[in-house]
Amino acid sequence: MDPLRVHVDQWLLVLGIAAYVTAAFALFAHFLMRNPVLRAIGLPLAAVGCVSQFAELGTRWWMTGVWPLTNLYGSLSLFSACAVAIFLVFALRYDLAFIGGPVLALAAIALGYATTWNEGYMPAVPALQSYWIKVHVPIVITAYASFMVSFCVSAMYLLKDAAEKRYAQRHPTVRGVAASAGGNVDVPLSAYAANPLTGVVRTDTPALASAAAAGDATASWLTGLPSLAKLDVMQYRIIAVGLPLLSLGIITGAMWAKEAWGAYWQWDPKETAALISWIVYAGYMHLHTRPEWRGTRTAWVSVIGFVSIVFCYLGVNIWISGLHSYKM
Amino acid sequence: MEARSGGRVASRALGALRESWDDLVRLFAHVPFGVSLLAAWAFLTLIGVIVEQGKDPSFYAAEYAPPLARLIVRLDLGNIYHSPAYLIAIGLILCSMAAATFTKVIPRRIPRLNPVKIDAIPLHARVRLAADPESVRERLAAFFAARGWQVRKREFGGAEWTFADKNNWARRGVLVAHLGFLIIAIGTTIYWAKGYSGQFAVLSGQTATIPENGATIALHRFAYRIDPIQTKAGTVYQPIDYVSNATVTGKDGLPRDAVIRVNQPYDVDGTLIYQATYGFAIDFRLTRDGRPVPVSDHPLKEGEGFVIPGTSRAIEYTRFVGTIDRATGQPAADPRPNDPGVVVQAFDGDRPAGSALLALGQPVDLGAGYALTAQRYILYSGFQYRYDPGIPVVGLGALVLLAGLCISFYFLPARLFVLARDAGGGVTEVGIAATTVKGYDVFEERFGEIVEDLRRSEPVGDTAQAGARPVLESA
Repeated sequence: MDPLRVHVDQWLLVLGIAAYVTAAFALFAHFLMRNPVLRAIGLPLAAVGCVSQFAELGTRWWMTGVWPLTNLYGSLSLFSACAVAIFLVFALRYDLAFIGGPVLALAAIALGYATTWNEGYMPAVPALQSYWIKVHVPIVITAYASFMVSFCVSAMYLLKDAAEKRYAQRHPTVRGVAASAGGNVDVPLSAYAANPLTGVVRTDTPALASAAAAGDATASWLTGLPSLAKLDVMQYRIIAVGLPLLSLGIITGAMWAKEAWGAYWQWDPKETAALISWIVYAGYMHLHTRPEWRGTRTAWVSVIGFVSIVFCYLGVNIWISGLHSYKM
Repeated sequence: MEARSGGRVASRALGALRESWDDLVRLFAHVPFGVSLLAAWAFLTLIGVIVEQGKDPSFYAAEYAPPLARLIVRLDLGNIYHSPAYLIAIGLILCSMAAATFTKVIPRRIPRLNPVKIDAIPLHARVRLAADPESVRERLAAFFAARGWQVRKREFGGAEWTFADKNNWARRGVLVAHLGFLIIAIGTTIYWAKGYSGQFAVLSGQTATIPENGATIALHRFAYRIDPIQTKAGTVYQPIDYVSNATVTGKDGLPRDAVIRVNQPYDVDGTLIYQATYGFAIDFRLTRDGRPVPVSDHPLKEGEGFVIPGTSRAIEYTRFVGTIDRATGQPAADPRPNDPGVVVQAFDGDRPAGSALLALGQPVDLGAGYALTAQRYILYSGFQYRYDPGIPVVGLGALVLLAGLCISFYFLPARLFVLARDAGGGVTEVGIAATTVKGYDVFEERFGEIVEDLRRSEPVGDTAQAGARPVLESA
């Protein structure tokens, strides 16, 4: 193997990890301090890491002629690169830079963990020698990556929601505007939390807003985050990217299985674990249609969904033997 | 009199029955109920992922703690995907989907054009424009139409309302997705009704027949390639290729050369033949006091065995060993047959009596004058075959399902309710409210842009409002 290409591969990997770690620190600091300079440092670094990762996978393909996603190292590399790419798209389109810290940190952890599975350059086993691997694997990994980003938004939602409730307990009523009445009224916050369609105008996070107005520094910092409603919409939009991709991934996987083994569905642990994740996110989408379920409950469903993704992606492949095992 | 009273009772019973039926349909159409069923399905599937499926009770007894093993065996958790609970969960989900489709998805997709209390809708705004109401209405209709909104006007109680709809067609996205599931179900039913599948193994030089369609497959040669690869963890023997060279004869009686690989099935009269597995069949020779004893009329495959005539003992061929490490006498890592051997298991009745690794060609003494020799190995190829006329239907269903998901997620049906009223002094106040099928938050940003756009494109009636952002009151 050409030593120059091996060096390029390794340098790109190091560059990717270094860029992610630095970007994670910068964006965490931006999250804490709201300093636009840190944002301006973090986002380009994230982009550099993402590009270097895609370049590294491309270099591997170029070096060996073997599609680089045939092992856990390759798929985890793509996972972290896709997660960062999805984050960047949403960060630029919807100003989501504040979740960059956790996303980049998880991407760096995934990539760091991937290196422990880097056995070197190996040809693909016969079952993986199919054009389907170039279709099925990137689709599924992109779906997983989008669920990782949505998980970070859900976690942010739940944190802010918990803070909101804590502040609400201190100040039992907030000044709201009853839209139907067209005037100002005092509305118990518990009622607001229980039913977001009571006609109360959303002042984003009312308890936080009132505490911030009273000079509470933490509340003031928390109000700088997007409103709960906006976080909920963001979470929905990212899951709306992931769920069709997961569906397509399951369908292409079934088509590949049909071609390789003669059956769409073999009840292999990986297939069934992916089905569980699909069910959880399908449940999320159904619950999200109900105003009374939208918000905290759907955020928890999103968190459960990501746990199921981790189980499906790593747990099943590593600990449960089956057709998708990395260790038998 | 009695007949009339009987009729009343029957009618009352029928009414109660209908009420119960309606309650049941309402329950099944209720989204949280459907999601609860999905959760139950996910839970049962999770059990199937964690607990290895299709094993003997002895396997669970060996793998799990005794109470857990007993639980698995008693509740039949080792066969969960075919258990009544699993099938009932799927059946209930299909019922829930059908109930929701017919009571919610189909009837309520396109709401009627009715006036609303604009201020009561959380997503609303007011814009004051410098013109009379009639011309404002015309300009508003042109404004929305130019931006791809379907504009309709209706008069209610003397007030003329303008309704603007976008992506109304996308209201059917959920219906399309549900239809996709139905088509997939039809496709798989076609396979159950008309398809078939099976598996067989053919030794090199032999011929097998697919019983369902009479096609024959004569295997000339099975070959594999396994390469030693140097990795950071040491040498790994990586399979690179499995290939069967065969002659396949279909209904037309014409023999055709076929090369069958993993991921490259061969099509004979619509039945696909897949390269599934391979193995090493062994010719065993049993002798007693030097005289041959017949044991089997064919080479044995892994898992097959024979009873030693006149005894309660049996021999099972367990597995093939490619290379025996001569220094240790144990199987080496290299699976390729360099210095091959076989592992055999001896049984006395049903009781295991020990196992041994036999080098090929070397006899082993079984006692009582018996000697066993693994003479030679013959490669065999394992095939699966499947005829599935439902494939195009399942493919269509998958496409429809994906289309439904994309329509539901990426095209947001929204309706604007617009009421223009004379505010005096040559100014018309325009009230705009918006509803969507996914609540208000998801449309808030877009609504703000629309109102902002409207303010910019039309001469405003109040200079104080000219540069201000719209006041969005959303819940």
